[in-house]
Amino acid sequence: MYLIRHRLLTFSVVMLLFLPVIAGAQTWDNLTPVQKEALAPLSKEWNTLQSQQQQRLINLAKHYPQLDTVQKQRLHNRLEKWSKLTPEQRNRAREKFQAFSKIPLEKREQVKQMVRQQEAQKLSMPASNPVLTNTP
Amino acid sequence: MKKEELNHENIKQLLNQSVAQLERPTLTRLHHVREQAMARYTARGAEPVYARAGHAIWHAFGAQHKSRLWATTLLVAIILFSATAYWNQITKSDTTDVDIAILTGDLPIHFYVD
Repeated sequence: MYLIRHRLLTFSVVMLLFLPVIAGAQTWDNLTPVQKEALAPLSKEWNTLQSQQQQRLINLAKHYPQLDTVQKQRLHNRLEKWSKLTPEQRNRAREKFQAFSKIPLEKREQVKQMVRQQEAQKLSMPASNPVLTNTP
Repeated sequence: MKKEELNHENIKQLLNQSVAQLERPTLTRLHHVREQAMARYTARGAEPVYARAGHAIWHAFGAQHKSRLWATTLLVAIILFSATAYWNQITKSDTTDVDIAILTGDLPIHFYVD
């Protein structure tokens, strides 16, 4: 009885110490269908990601069902690039986002408008350049 | 040295004589107690290392009930503190809301990345 009590206590302590490791380990096959759909762009490199990053992405996938079609598309387009950033870069991006969120709404909209115009210009550049270069 | 050996012999003889003079029920009881002691000794010898370490720690706190109670309370407090610290760390590092906003927002990622 005494020995069993001791073994139980030791087992509990060991389980508690290894809790972060046990909780963190997640293979692609262990993910739910919704998580797999949300994180589909990362299916190939999923098992190489750090457990902390995996956990963050799993938390992210919880929001996936609530997103509209456009947002789901954006998430899929950006996820791969996001996962390739270093932890420092991601932290910096979060800081910048939070700082940007504090700017008055009107100014934020102006900036968004400006960025949209820049993006549109970038997209139209490759089409316009050949015309310019082909001109005699 | 010789004297000491003789003394040992004498003691041995005395004990043997005493055993021969003991009554049957007393001998049975002694035999039973010896078997119990031997069984306990064997069980202790077979205990794994961590169990023996546990005994040693237990022993360090003293055999008194109060000391053991304190030791248990201390252990529970340490476990609770560790668990709380761990979950606080998890909560603190939870950046899901910001991440989802960046990944689904109007502005592209490179706007936020240096």
